Amino acid sequence: MMRVVIIGAGMAGSKLAEELAHNSTAKLAITLIGEEPKVGYNRIMLSSLLAEEIGDEDMRLVDLVKMRDSGVNIIAEDPVVTISSKQKKVILSSGRVIDYDKLVFATGSKANILPIEGANGHNVMGFRTWQDVDRMSALPAAQNVVVVGGGLLGLEAAVGLVKRGHQVTVFHRSGHLLNRQLDAAAASLLQRRLETMEIEFCLSDSPTRFIHDASGAVCRLLHGNGQQKPVDLVIMAAGIVPETQLAEQAGLAVNKAILVDAQMTTSDADIYALGECCEFEQQTFGLVAPIWSQISVLTQVLAGSAANFTIMPTPTKLKVSGINLFSVGKIQPDANDACLIFEDVSANHYRKLVVNDGRLVGAILYGNVADGSWYFQLIQNQTKVTAMLDRLIFGEAYCQSQVA
Amino acid sequence: MAQAFQKTTCPYCGVGCGVNMVLPSADKDPVPPVSGDERHPANFGRLCVKGSSLSQTLMDHDRLLTPSIQGHSTSWDEALDTISDKITQVVKDHGPDAFAFYLSGQILTEDYYVANKLAKGFIGTANVDTNSRLCMASAVVAYKRAFGSDTVPCCYEDLECCDLLIMVGSNAAWTHPVLYQRIAAAKQKRPHMKVVVIDPRQTATCDIADLHLAIKPGSDAAIFSYLLCHSDSAGVVDQAFMADSTSGFDEALKCAYAATPSASFTADFCGVPLEDLTCLTDWWADTDKTVTFYSQGINQSSSGVDKCNAIINCHLATGRVGKEGAGPFSITGQPNAMGGREVGGLANQLAAHMDFATPGAQDLVQRFWQAPNMASENGLKAVDLFQAMEAGKVKVVWIMSTNPMVSLPDTAQVRRALEKCELVIVSDCKNNTDTTAMADILLPATGWSEKNGTVTNSERCISRQRGLLPAPGEARHDWWAICEVAKRLGFHSAFSYQGAHDIFVEHAALSAFENSGKRDFDIGHFQSMTQAEYDALLPVQWPVPKGQPAGTKRMFADGQFFTADRKARFIPITPVLPQHVSNKEWPFVLNTGRVRDQWHTMTRTGNAASLARHTNQPYVEIHPRDVKALGLQDQGLARLVSPHGQAILRVKTSRATSPGQVFAPIHWTQAFANQSVISNLIPQVVDPLSGQPESKHAVIRLEAIHNPMFGSILSTQALDLSAFLYWCRIPSEHGFYYEVALSSAAEVEQAIRNLKQQTGLSEYWMEYQNPLSGQSRMACLQENQLVLLLYWHDQPQQLSLDWLVSKLAPDCQVEEQERLAILAGSLAQAEDKGEIICSCFQVGSKQIQQAVAEGASSVAELGARLKCGTNCGSCVPELKPFMPIQVEKSA
Repeated sequence: MMRVVIIGAGMAGSKLAEELAHNSTAKLAITLIGEEPKVGYNRIMLSSLLAEEIGDEDMRLVDLVKMRDSGVNIIAEDPVVTISSKQKKVILSSGRVIDYDKLVFATGSKANILPIEGANGHNVMGFRTWQDVDRMSALPAAQNVVVVGGGLLGLEAAVGLVKRGHQVTVFHRSGHLLNRQLDAAAASLLQRRLETMEIEFCLSDSPTRFIHDASGAVCRLLHGNGQQKPVDLVIMAAGIVPETQLAEQAGLAVNKAILVDAQMTTSDADIYALGECCEFEQQTFGLVAPIWSQISVLTQVLAGSAANFTIMPTPTKLKVSGINLFSVGKIQPDANDACLIFEDVSANHYRKLVVNDGRLVGAILYGNVADGSWYFQLIQNQTKVTAMLDRLIFGEAYCQSQVA
Repeated sequence: MAQAFQKTTCPYCGVGCGVNMVLPSADKDPVPPVSGDERHPANFGRLCVKGSSLSQTLMDHDRLLTPSIQGHSTSWDEALDTISDKITQVVKDHGPDAFAFYLSGQILTEDYYVANKLAKGFIGTANVDTNSRLCMASAVVAYKRAFGSDTVPCCYEDLECCDLLIMVGSNAAWTHPVLYQRIAAAKQKRPHMKVVVIDPRQTATCDIADLHLAIKPGSDAAIFSYLLCHSDSAGVVDQAFMADSTSGFDEALKCAYAATPSASFTADFCGVPLEDLTCLTDWWADTDKTVTFYSQGINQSSSGVDKCNAIINCHLATGRVGKEGAGPFSITGQPNAMGGREVGGLANQLAAHMDFATPGAQDLVQRFWQAPNMASENGLKAVDLFQAMEAGKVKVVWIMSTNPMVSLPDTAQVRRALEKCELVIVSDCKNNTDTTAMADILLPATGWSEKNGTVTNSERCISRQRGLLPAPGEARHDWWAICEVAKRLGFHSAFSYQGAHDIFVEHAALSAFENSGKRDFDIGHFQSMTQAEYDALLPVQWPVPKGQPAGTKRMFADGQFFTADRKARFIPITPVLPQHVSNKEWPFVLNTGRVRDQWHTMTRTGNAASLARHTNQPYVEIHPRDVKALGLQDQGLARLVSPHGQAILRVKTSRATSPGQVFAPIHWTQAFANQSVISNLIPQVVDPLSGQPESKHAVIRLEAIHNPMFGSILSTQALDLSAFLYWCRIPSEHGFYYEVALSSAAEVEQAIRNLKQQTGLSEYWMEYQNPLSGQSRMACLQENQLVLLLYWHDQPQQLSLDWLVSKLAPDCQVEEQERLAILAGSLAQAEDKGEIICSCFQVGSKQIQQAVAEGASSVAELGARLKCGTNCGSCVPELKPFMPIQVEKSA
């Protein structure tokens, strides 16, 4: 039986293990090794857990019991510390040694802790794990929380913390929130909405220095032109860094992340990588849709079938209840693109479609995202939209009535 | 509970249809839709779309409610005193001819009568002219030359029982729809009946034509000149009738042979295929029961009288007059052009079908009226009148119920004349017309359904227009205002009428006064009628002399005419073409006319949103070859330039018009569009005998307007769009709807700023930008109500804004889920009807296409499915092209 060892029991690793255990045609001996105490949970739902919109029981991603029953060896809280690719074995923190025929890196990523003076304070944290949520949930009431980064993760953290009754300030280096997913117009609608929830924003601004108290905790920060701000907790949500330390140690080719080909194979033919720790065609991956597709590819590859991973645009949504936001594809038009824009500020409704050569290549929807999946389909299928350009922005219903 | 119908008469065209109206149960309630009077001999229950929509036009919008002097409201007393003082002064200083009435075929016979009496008998001037001058003055003069009287010999039945109907210079399908429907129905019943249309354009009327002669503009007379020759050569001249009842045939025939020596010469002169002309002449020779039906296309010409006489000559030669199904039938444009003629309400008439030159007439009328200041010679005809005004000779003009700033040729001259005139009095129902804008004194008049009196239609049928609704505000009857001025001028006893009945009775008495058969117009039967009889008067065709209460269906059955020797006269005619010919500088000939669902200058039809659907903007119809050669774009804008003025119109590509010719409808005024008054382009060329302008002919140049930015604007308030290149207000159910254009996309921003400033709207705007489709749209909502909407497009677009207009209704809330639709233009699931074809039932082209696709294969089946074409029927010619296979015409 081919021994497959998966390093990392986050979403990618757990889901891969489950796929291999239940849906693979190959006979495999699977080992899933995790660093966290909890494995196999749905990381995406952490924001909702933080916002107390769901409970612990809603966090399950895979059925660990069923996996164990199928013979998957699940190891938690015992990270891999060394890999010997020559001998095809991994050594865990506990000293345990596990042999493999095929090794899969699913090490994910870690929060990007910005190199700001004082960022080593013990109340500076990322927002990546269930433990992080537990820590935030345990805060005393009405703390001053600073979130560094106005991307998806930062905003979700901010909303969760505000809902828990804290004073939250979001610092964002860009001039508008979610600058990778939204344009300025949509972002300003979002910001207005979040401001009504009493989140404070400092745009085009970031902390320049964290000042510690005697205990080594950050108690104040400096920003802008030297303004000061009292702080009880700092959440670093300024992007993620692929976890590649082990891979580098194992001698795999690494750029921003572990380089893989379309079969998810690294520079070592018996080692694969997927999820946030891999890099394919100069892209890294932070959203689940491409990662699910990587899992599917790798499942087939390990069963000896031919499969290719290709990059498809992936829509993003903000997981904040009451805020509907959808972004997919190319949202910053260049000279060859044209933008169709609908804006209804008083109704908090915004749409922007980016069209290139008669095809939809990007879409931003804010407020009413019902047509998001249809636009996504048009982008994926590269549908010619020339005939419906003058109704396209009004959505599927209008374009269908025109066809009829 | 349904109330009993009140009967009245339609105020639109010269067909004069009977209308049933139910009065609302409460004052403020809207008047329910009217229906056709099944007993009225003009329409037997039919109504056209304009007539059907009459109740929609009864609204308060822009109604003139109080008298005003120089824009300041005043009392009737003050206004009437000012008028009479000024008339007194100018008559004293400059003589009676310094005063003039300019009246209208829209006013009632009773109004006409007192105006004519005041001017010609009491002030002492024959300066009483009317917009009827523009309509059928040529037909009047021709009848008088031929018959010795202004007598229409035929009746509508003749149109149904003739075997050959020659329709010349008439698009009756659109201008006299009910008569057209009667003809179409008769033709269907009697398939051997042939219809020939003679018209430069292929109009909707051609739909029922067995033969269409698309003649060169203005060449009509040659056809009839040749028909006279052919009657002679084919041996169909009625020798007995000629000998007993006519004179002058030889001379007329000689002249005809000289002018149109052969069929080939004539075909060439008129630009028609020889075989088509031969077909007409064969049918003419073979068909005793022939009616020639003619209208403005003949009359509005510098040789209009001659054209009419060329037609009459042919009927006299063949004895086809005074018989069932035969005669030269002039159809008038207006509801009461005939009534005006009866009282003498034209500058070249005296009164009651007597002229100044009629021996003894001045004395007779003077004695009847006991008139102190009789005019003794013809006054100024319309165009001459406004020229005399510009020359400072006419110093006071009283314009009643007409819009000369739009309808007279060379609007610039009319403006100069009215500016020069010392006192311009305008009586109207509307506050804002192009002419009320020129008034010194405005008098609020009663309108249709308030006015009470009589009108006479094209077949001499006198019908009652009844005052069924109360006059709003301080509106008063026109006859009352005239009499009040007359009294102030010192003529109390002659103008102290108690009501319209008094006037009608006097009018009837004058018609019979010392008549004894000498004059055609005699309604002596009515001279002693009571008020109750007047109120109950049924439609009747004059003459109605004492003792003959049934009236007279057909004239001249006895071969006796009203000349001194009782013989009809042939008039030698040499056909001539219109005065201005196209040349290098002015390469196009402009023809003018009407659209199906509008009337005159839209002062009434412009109130009805449904009537704007068929044609919502002014346009110029151009042959595709010329469209291409000039770089024009269908539905884009073209500038029409003549030596007299300009207009900007939508381009409508059409093969109905020949290359080198264009056609534009006359209706749009400056109250509805900034650059679309067609009279601007028309020279003041008139027929020397009738004074009728050649309004259907101008030579022009066409210029493309390149890359304008088009826009559609909806607003809850009226907007000042004077900064725009082009705007047209389209009547809408709610709010204000404008189609506009700017010279270029670069002007959009400034235009938006201007509109925001005007409206004071600074709220959040909804916006939609689509550079790929050249679309840019924005809307402002206040408390969820749509208040202003701007759609811009770089290409002409035909958008249906019906749903958006419905959102302008007071208290109409735009629901959350409808907001997107505000900029989409419609609800997603809303059916797009396409262009409205049937106005009565609001059926659109896309619905019709759908029904045809589902198997409807005839107009009747379409009617059964969609109801289109089943009310007024005027859209039937437009429904036919939707049929997969054209219905075979009977050979």
